[in-house]
Amino acid sequence: MAQLRPHANSSPLARHAPTTMRTGEALSFSDELHLEAHRWLVNESYLLDAQDYGTWLESIAHDVHYFMPVRVTTALGAGYSTSPGMAHWDENRYSLERRVARFQTEHAWTEDPPSRLRHFITNVRTFRTDVENEIAVDSAVLLFRSRGDVNEPSLISAGRDDLLRKVDGRWMLARRHILVDESVLRTQNLAIFL
Amino acid sequence: MDTIQQVLADVRRGMIPAHIYNDAEIFELEKERLFSRAWMFVGHESEIPQPGDYVVRRVLEDSFIISRDEQGTIRALFNMCLHRGMQVCRAEMGNASHFRCPYHGWSYRNDGRIIGLPFHKEAYGGEEGFARKGATLLPAPNLANYNGLLFVNMDPDAMPLDEYLGDFKFYLDYYTKQSASGIELRGPQRWRIKANWKIGVENFAGDMYHTPQTHTSVVEIGLFREPKAEKRKDGMTYWAGRGGGTTYKLPPGDLEERLAYIGYPPEMIERMKQLWSTDQLQLIGEDAFMISAASLFPNMSFVHNWPKVEEEGDEVVPFISLRMWQPVSENETEVMSWFAVDAEAPEEFKELSYKAYLMCFGSTGMFEQDDVENWVSLTNTAKGSMARRLLLNSRMGMLNDGTPVVPALTREEFSGAGSAYVGYSEHNQRNFLQEWADHLEKPPVVAPSHAVGITNGQLDQYSSKGA
Ligand code: FES
Ligand SMILES: [Fe+2]
Repeated sequence: MAQLRPHANSSPLARHAPTTMRTGEALSFSDELHLEAHRWLVNESYLLDAQDYGTWLESIAHDVHYFMPVRVTTALGAGYSTSPGMAHWDENRYSLERRVARFQTEHAWTEDPPSRLRHFITNVRTFRTDVENEIAVDSAVLLFRSRGDVNEPSLISAGRDDLLRKVDGRWMLARRHILVDESVLRTQNLAIFL
Repeated sequence: MDTIQQVLADVRRGMIPAHIYNDAEIFELEKERLFSRAWMFVGHESEIPQPGDYVVRRVLEDSFIISRDEQGTIRALFNMCLHRGMQVCRAEMGNASHFRCPYHGWSYRNDGRIIGLPFHKEAYGGEEGFARKGATLLPAPNLANYNGLLFVNMDPDAMPLDEYLGDFKFYLDYYTKQSASGIELRGPQRWRIKANWKIGVENFAGDMYHTPQTHTSVVEIGLFREPKAEKRKDGMTYWAGRGGGTTYKLPPGDLEERLAYIGYPPEMIERMKQLWSTDQLQLIGEDAFMISAASLFPNMSFVHNWPKVEEEGDEVVPFISLRMWQPVSENETEVMSWFAVDAEAPEEFKELSYKAYLMCFGSTGMFEQDDVENWVSLTNTAKGSMARRLLLNSRMGMLNDGTPVVPALTREEFSGAGSAYVGYSEHNQRNFLQEWADHLEKPPVVAPSHAVGITNGQLDQYSSKGA
């Protein structure tokens, strides 16, 4: 856990973000809450593969913090492995909306023709939190991205630490901290979502 | 096949043999003659504020520890153990009083001097066999600083940085000296793109022509109002010293109004007024130009834009970004992109400016995404035999007889350093490639070798007896 969350409050843009904390052990894999969380993540991965970002946004909470700090190699015991004050994504609802709006124009050339995407989601575990209608969900994601016919495909591997909130009977993403596994990304840009 | 002389001659008349953007032989020449003697950015003072702070940065294949020693002096130390050549520091950043080599345990102070050599007496016979005194990790041949920007040069006989930068300093100040405290840097974001390093440099140096087309989408979503075609061509491009860049034309107003128009708060404007020269202020206040993208030869670039980052209101906020196009091969580049902000700026400004950077440039930037797609495709297409038959026309802004399509701005119209032209042109891309061509004609750099553990006098008579 310590490994996954060293950066939780390190963004200056996170003041609006939920501060909900997870509690207790991971739920049993047959727990109804875990099954719902897993189902939500799998459904989300299909939306992200299809670049159906309009639908995706419908399940993003108004106070979301979508955050992926830059990883750095540091000596064992340095106490941090992310670049102080720098991220790849440090998004609120408005900036996510702008990104989605851009993809919905006819001039987002980088994804025209679109990448072929496959988000592989695994290692899912679910926790209760100190807030009644919110759960914390860890997952691992491996994104395979292929563009064109001659380019090498690229892979992005990351851990995700999500906060899901039930609003009017639906789960919404209220916080996502992404811990990417490379310090130097091997993909031409992050014109995708994790 | 064309000879290198033919390539350089074509480049000099503004015709670009397309294969220079993906050619292994050319890349070898660039390493041997260009990167071996150009000043290259490795970091900024603000990244290592405390004694013992360090970052590890590469200059092509050479790894350097950029450290601040206990006296506060900044060093660039070749990251190779003096014993058997192990990489001494394998982190990217941190704080250390000394570095211990993991192989046999030699250790070095953060100023590079050897501090520990296990079994010095038993293994070498002490100083007699291995002169520990004076032995230090190999320093970069040259390290110099401008406005806190740290540059390394691999040529022992390099011209001074100041002279190298020349008049480009006039523009560097806008990006890196908005107050007496200078900038603070965050990052870099690092990622690899399958593109030749020169393409990004040329684009940032002068390509105002691509903005309305490539970046249509960021105007459509209300992120940045300026790049519309009719506005972009009112800007000018300048070339000064060893760099050049693009600008936007600002709306009517005085200096304060124009700086406020792009989002600077009054206290920051006040500091700029105190710090910048009359000419630097007049370029904005009188001539109505505002710096945007720029490149410094060979592979450093800058951005300054002012997008709208919050839902409410119409306010924009400016951001600054510095970057290196670190070549990996003829068709691959590591991009290192930093966010920079005036150290004295109000906290709220720093936060929004950071937000503006992330939305526009860097690995996730909405401008950047479309740029890179173009450059990767270009590099791919430049690989084959057909690209060797194609001379791209890079003569925009110049008539057949070499006269400019529009005349250079006069002293009355332009208070900046160097020469400047309003509108779309490829003057800067040509200037960059001229400098590139001049370098590829130079002889390889000759550098002496450094012998470890042997005093210079001994070196000539050195021999191994009875080995
Ligand atoms: S190589 Fe570093 S101590 Fe031997
Ligand atoms: Fe661009």
